[in-house]
Amino acid sequence: MTSTTINIIKREGRRPSESFQRAKLYASIRAACLSVRSPDGVAEMTANNVCDAVIVWLETKPEVTSADLRRKATDTLKSFHPEAAYLYKHHRLVI
Amino acid sequence: MINSFAIIAFAALIHASFQLSVSMLTLMSGHTIGSKSSHAKLLRLTNTFSLGVAIMTLLIFSFIAFVLQQYFDAAVPAIAWASASGLLIGLGVAVWAFYYRRNPGTSLWIPRGMARYLSDRTKSTKHSAEALGLGMSSVIGELIFIFAPMAIGALALLQLEPGLQLIGAAMYTFVSLLPLLMVNGLIGSGHKLSSIQKWRENNKRFLQFAAGSGLLILGFYLYVDKVVAASALTGGAL
Repeated sequence: MTSTTINIIKREGRRPSESFQRAKLYASIRAACLSVRSPDGVAEMTANNVCDAVIVWLETKPEVTSADLRRKATDTLKSFHPEAAYLYKHHRLVI
Repeated sequence: MINSFAIIAFAALIHASFQLSVSMLTLMSGHTIGSKSSHAKLLRLTNTFSLGVAIMTLLIFSFIAFVLQQYFDAAVPAIAWASASGLLIGLGVAVWAFYYRRNPGTSLWIPRGMARYLSDRTKSTKHSAEALGLGMSSVIGELIFIFAPMAIGALALLQLEPGLQLIGAAMYTFVSLLPLLMVNGLIGSGHKLSSIQKWRENNKRFLQFAAGSGLLILGFYLYVDKVVAASALTGGAL
């Protein structure tokens, strides 16, 4: 599944909704893993695992907010790569 | 002379405890490493960012010193010291109460619009020129907090001989940049950003307390040394 009909409500409706895109989630998780200097292969495998888990979770929901999606992705990432999960969770709270 | 240098160094240390530039450097490094850029590019961006911070700090510090010199020359009146002390004490209390936001992370009490803009610009920085501009903007973004220590440092700078003023300005800039240079060094030597950011988050309340306390201590010291002692010597005239 690369893009589903599940609506992602962005910033509590202040920005237009968009459908879920696996590639976008994959890129952000991979970047978080690379930021903590994980090897390429580990980053890609972790991103794939997290995307798969998030998609399974999404299948039961008609729409979710981007905050929910981030929370779920963070929780899943924490079990694979706690340090990357920390950066992923906090990257909007640095400044 | 030693007293003036000590005041400049202490004011610069207080300046150094403010964290916007360090936050932006951390964020920029995270995005650069995450986008698989080379280590050379990472170093180029972080070094240029630090250079931008140094240039803007020196420019603003010199500008404040220049403006104050036009008003007071080398003889700073006690009323100016009293005003500056009041500013320091007020800011010290404000920093104790407000510097970091209460939510997790290291979000600062700067206007959210500006924080979002700086954050977006930081993430999209790809070239050295952008990093230089970003470093300069980070100093302006935090001017509300760093103005008071800069003004005190500038007042102390006026007490020095012209030749020593250059050393004083360079010393202020260098000391105020120390945390940024340390983080820059840690990132350049391969330390994990998550460890740096975790340390910053775990110690943010201490840094906030230290910055606020430093402002209060310097404020009280200057009030006693430059206002009370001076007015006692001159028979009460400000």
